[in-house]
Amino acid sequence: MTAEISIRNVSMEFPTPDGVKHVLNDISYDVNQHHFVSIVGPSGVGKTTLLRLLTGLMKPTSGEIQVHGERISGAPKGLAVVLQDYTRSLMPWLTIEKNIALPLRNQKLGKAETRERIESSLEEVGLSGTGGNYPWQMSGGMQQRASIARALAVRPTILVMDEPFASVDAQTRFDLEDLVLKVRADFGITTLMVTHDIDEAVYLSDEIVVLHGRPAGVRDVVVVDIPFPRSQIETRNDQRFTELRTHVYAMVRGLE
Amino acid sequence: MSIAGRIPPWIVSMLLALAFWQVAASVGPISDSSIPTAVDSVTTLVQLLGQSETWIALGQTVAIAAIGFALSLLIALPLGILIGLSRFAFTSTKFVFDFFKVIPPIVIIPITILALGPTFQMGVFLVVFGLVFALAIQTAYGVRDADPVLLDTMRAYRQGIVTQIRYARLPSAASFIAVGIRISATAALVIAVVAGLIGGAPGLGRQLLLSQTGGLADQTFAIVLLLGVLGVLVSHGIEWSRRKVIFWEDR
Repeated sequence: MTAEISIRNVSMEFPTPDGVKHVLNDISYDVNQHHFVSIVGPSGVGKTTLLRLLTGLMKPTSGEIQVHGERISGAPKGLAVVLQDYTRSLMPWLTIEKNIALPLRNQKLGKAETRERIESSLEEVGLSGTGGNYPWQMSGGMQQRASIARALAVRPTILVMDEPFASVDAQTRFDLEDLVLKVRADFGITTLMVTHDIDEAVYLSDEIVVLHGRPAGVRDVVVVDIPFPRSQIETRNDQRFTELRTHVYAMVRGLE
Repeated sequence: MSIAGRIPPWIVSMLLALAFWQVAASVGPISDSSIPTAVDSVTTLVQLLGQSETWIALGQTVAIAAIGFALSLLIALPLGILIGLSRFAFTSTKFVFDFFKVIPPIVIIPITILALGPTFQMGVFLVVFGLVFALAIQTAYGVRDADPVLLDTMRAYRQGIVTQIRYARLPSAASFIAVGIRISATAALVIAVVAGLIGGAPGLGRQLLLSQTGGLADQTFAIVLLLGVLGVLVSHGIEWSRRKVIFWEDR
């Protein structure tokens, strides 16, 4: 296995009116190609800060992040993102199709190829035929599907998701989790997801990185040795699933 | 539905207001003053509308307001966008703009008359002076208001600054700009009238001044009515186009 993303001794500090706030302390972790990795930890531990570093939106105070062995400055090539707040990350003034087409402009595809990318990614997320709608004409779950379609359309090598299912109802959440498992099976995109839902982390991931402390460090890396394909009913009743979530939960709460 | 139920409420309230005016000015407390009745004013308005002078004056007022408004937009939008894009430019110009914004155009009339005389150009200048600062600030606010989540999303997809301006900052600014436009359009009309009334620029404002000094009460009130109707038309027209352009709001 080769490392797609290497986080090397990353520390992050922010200046605040009350002095320097040290958020992340000496984080090192390698994300293997085609792996699905979740980052969990207590609220405010710095999960989202770590994601912002990974997407190149911020630079670490020290250490570096490498993609395919090269240090990143700015967003790496082949990156796609899905954020929690779909109402704010999709543009209300563009139709779903045009929202999906916008990031494709960098790739200088022909008209037919762009069309094909839009159609196929909408089909993958179960939204065929809805591309002409505006985001606000769709339900929350459909909008988040559209965000995922936008991500898939760029044919990413790395997918970064920040609490992607935190703003939808429970049933929709299960559906979207299964959609992510399907996308994973179809494309094997290296994926990093921040979540505070530990069950979700166990259900979807190959590995779970547990952040803990102030400043936060890597408390542990848990390998989720539950075979694929997984299913909402069987996997969640699996004894190993229960053991793993209890273990991760205890670490997040600082009980272990 | 009964016939009464089908009459729009604004017609009902307008007729009531006219009836109140009529009663107050004919038998009511102001019947002794020189204030004309509603019927006399409306009748005079209808007569005025039959005269080409009225239409010429109306055209001059609308032209001063429209040209001033258009020039203000031409100056304020690019300026506001540039200022809004840079935090330094925004914080350093905000004070100056806020200062000029609150100066009513009426107080610079004496200076502008010295420079330009009681002319069409003077009216246009006053309109621009009255609108441009507020519009520029409003635009700058709108550009700064673009959602950080949306901008982050675009940066993560490696979209350049031009794409960010075109697809995120300008549409975000559009609703701010629309508010500015709606307020400015009616303000442009008011300033165009004031430019005539106080500064002697051509148009309905000057007609108003002439009627007033000539003691033609009916005609004065008729012109005021005409200006009111014009203002309502402008503000409704602007609101209608705002809904068409910024369709993603009001849903």
